[in-house]
Amino acid sequence: MFSSFRIQRLPSSHPGIALAARLAAIVIALVVAGVGIALAGMNPFDLGARVITASFGSSFGMEDLGVLVIPLILTGLAVAVGQQVGAWNIGAEGQFYAGAFAASAVGLFVPGEGPLILILMFVAGLVGGAAWILIPTLARAYANVNELITTLLLNFVATLLVYYVATGPWRDRSGMANSATPPLSTSVPEFWGIVHWGFPIAIGLAILVGAALAFSRWGYEVRLVGSNPSAAKYAGIPVRKHLIMVMLLSGAIAGLAGMLEIAGTVHRLQGGISNNFGYLGIMVAVLARGSPIGVIFSGAFMALILNSGIVLQTQGLTTSVVLAITGFILFLTAIGDELSYYRITREKPEGAA
Amino acid sequence: MTSIRNLSRRGFLNMSAAAGSSLLLPSGMLTSAFAADPLPAIAEEDAVIGFGHVGPITDEGWTWSHHQGLLAVKEAYPNLKNILEVENVPYSADATRTYRQFVSEGANMIFDTSSTGDFLHQVVKRAPEVAFMECNGHNPDLPNLGWYYLAHWYPTYVLGVAAGHLSKTGKLGYVASFPVASVYASTNAFLMGARTVNPDATVQTIVINSWFDPQAATQAGTALIDNGCDFLFGIMDEAGYLQVAESRGVWAAMWNTDIRRYGPNAYVSSIIVDFKDFYVDQVGKRLAGTWAPNQTLLPMGGGVDRDVWGQNVPEEVGKAADEVREKIIGGWSPFVGELKDKDGNVRVEADQKMTEMELYNWDWSVEGVSGLEG
Repeated sequence: MFSSFRIQRLPSSHPGIALAARLAAIVIALVVAGVGIALAGMNPFDLGARVITASFGSSFGMEDLGVLVIPLILTGLAVAVGQQVGAWNIGAEGQFYAGAFAASAVGLFVPGEGPLILILMFVAGLVGGAAWILIPTLARAYANVNELITTLLLNFVATLLVYYVATGPWRDRSGMANSATPPLSTSVPEFWGIVHWGFPIAIGLAILVGAALAFSRWGYEVRLVGSNPSAAKYAGIPVRKHLIMVMLLSGAIAGLAGMLEIAGTVHRLQGGISNNFGYLGIMVAVLARGSPIGVIFSGAFMALILNSGIVLQTQGLTTSVVLAITGFILFLTAIGDELSYYRITREKPEGAA
Repeated sequence: MTSIRNLSRRGFLNMSAAAGSSLLLPSGMLTSAFAADPLPAIAEEDAVIGFGHVGPITDEGWTWSHHQGLLAVKEAYPNLKNILEVENVPYSADATRTYRQFVSEGANMIFDTSSTGDFLHQVVKRAPEVAFMECNGHNPDLPNLGWYYLAHWYPTYVLGVAAGHLSKTGKLGYVASFPVASVYASTNAFLMGARTVNPDATVQTIVINSWFDPQAATQAGTALIDNGCDFLFGIMDEAGYLQVAESRGVWAAMWNTDIRRYGPNAYVSSIIVDFKDFYVDQVGKRLAGTWAPNQTLLPMGGGVDRDVWGQNVPEEVGKAADEVREKIIGGWSPFVGELKDKDGNVRVEADQKMTEMELYNWDWSVEGVSGLEG
């Protein structure tokens, strides 16, 4: 008698297996990319060494990573938080722009400078992001309109709004900048090279949100709503209230990402500031499997990949090749992640016992 | 570049504040201010030069033209092996990361071919030992940063004269990227040229928020023609609206390179750009240790010009426009007051000549240009 194999999906994957699957995916992707680079006539080991020394070998590279990781952690956190309550916030991009827009309004038009303005900008960023997700939130909570579509579509509105004000009414007329507003009055201070205080804020917020979800009663209820809304309702948990609060929180975090990018890194409002951070945040959250703490690590991983892309470009690889390699790594990581939920079991034939 | 006048920075500022006259020297170099300590000479084989571009080098337009400059540098300095080149540098903090990477690769001189502004300046401030040149840049008074651009308003004026002759409706269409200074100068110069022939001519502008978006440029071109325009112009890095003009049977003038094959019947001319000599000169100076941050506008005939006229452009039209071109090369400027903005306010007094810096930083539309200002 042959014994038969069966593929079984587990409700949760073993952390060790998940990690191994992820590492295997990265290794496979790098090997394939290396073969591709070798076929293109370049030495993949040289390039790899170059990426590593450029990223970790100097404070220059580490600073770049430190700045790049801030918006990635925050937009990733925004998406991950939404996932906890069972909502897919695809609109982090739009909320990022809305937060940047609101913070810029403060930085450009509220007289004065210094800590007070910075706090106002901070609040404006949070409120701007939350306001941008308000309509999708209410539509989902009261009319069960799918937030995937509504949050996504508002991205384009926010992007165009920022393009409009940056090239139109708010544009810099001094001739010092193309299609951007004048510099904001206040900046988030830097504490190490070009890395500003957004870095500890992003990590601190991820830990805070993660802890609240894991240990508080609120967090427990939110997770219950996310995994089984009917059961949560039956248990007397205010499902709608939690949904609304968490979605607004998600938008606010994405808005904060926009505020920190504007006030810490870019210093002027203009189109294109998001660098697709909103969409990359979805990837960061998926790689972290919706875990707020995990977002710190997947955000760092994403920052490393994006930064490697820049290093590789100066080494003569074209943007398309770099994008293809980046996409391939993420694609395989996602597959490896999903596969780690499965196991192959060998069933004993019936009656063999 | 034969006659370079060297001025101290303070001298330059005093002079530009005091003098209303043009600062443009025959070489095109406006000023050349020496830093306190010039950067030392480097051997060709040790030098690292970086180029960052806004688009792909295969765009047949702006980026392709700068890439030709890079190739000219390679040819002029055969032992200069280390030239870094990155395409598609976005106008975002990624530009800062790219230029930082150039610096950490040991670049001695970096060209930003598409004015990334603050994103570049953040790097410039932290790399005082590196020479930076920003195309269409604006000098924020950093000792190791200069800028260069083209006095494109002159050949644009010449194209405007041709448009005035060729357009029957007097409605000229313009596909614009952003409401930035070079677009103001371009639309204004274009209309001023056309109005010398047809005083009722107007320019309708559509802003598409991109330098390279064939689909949006095509839609904008179609909308302009539907609005009655029978001559299209714009600053685009591709041929989208030329193809529209070809299929709708109207005229079109382009930017950057000769792309007449995409619309041979519609093609009138193009603002042709050429940075080869400039790049060779700048790199040479950096290698020799004589480079100083300079502000250079390449003049018509020395980096920017109109293209050979299209096959359907009547000979007398080309001739009439070329007469204006000769006059400008001879030293005449068409940009003399009185000039009014679109609200009728006098912006340049009668008989006052606009300086090169005023043309370079033009930020208002002359009466007759619509669509740029909200």
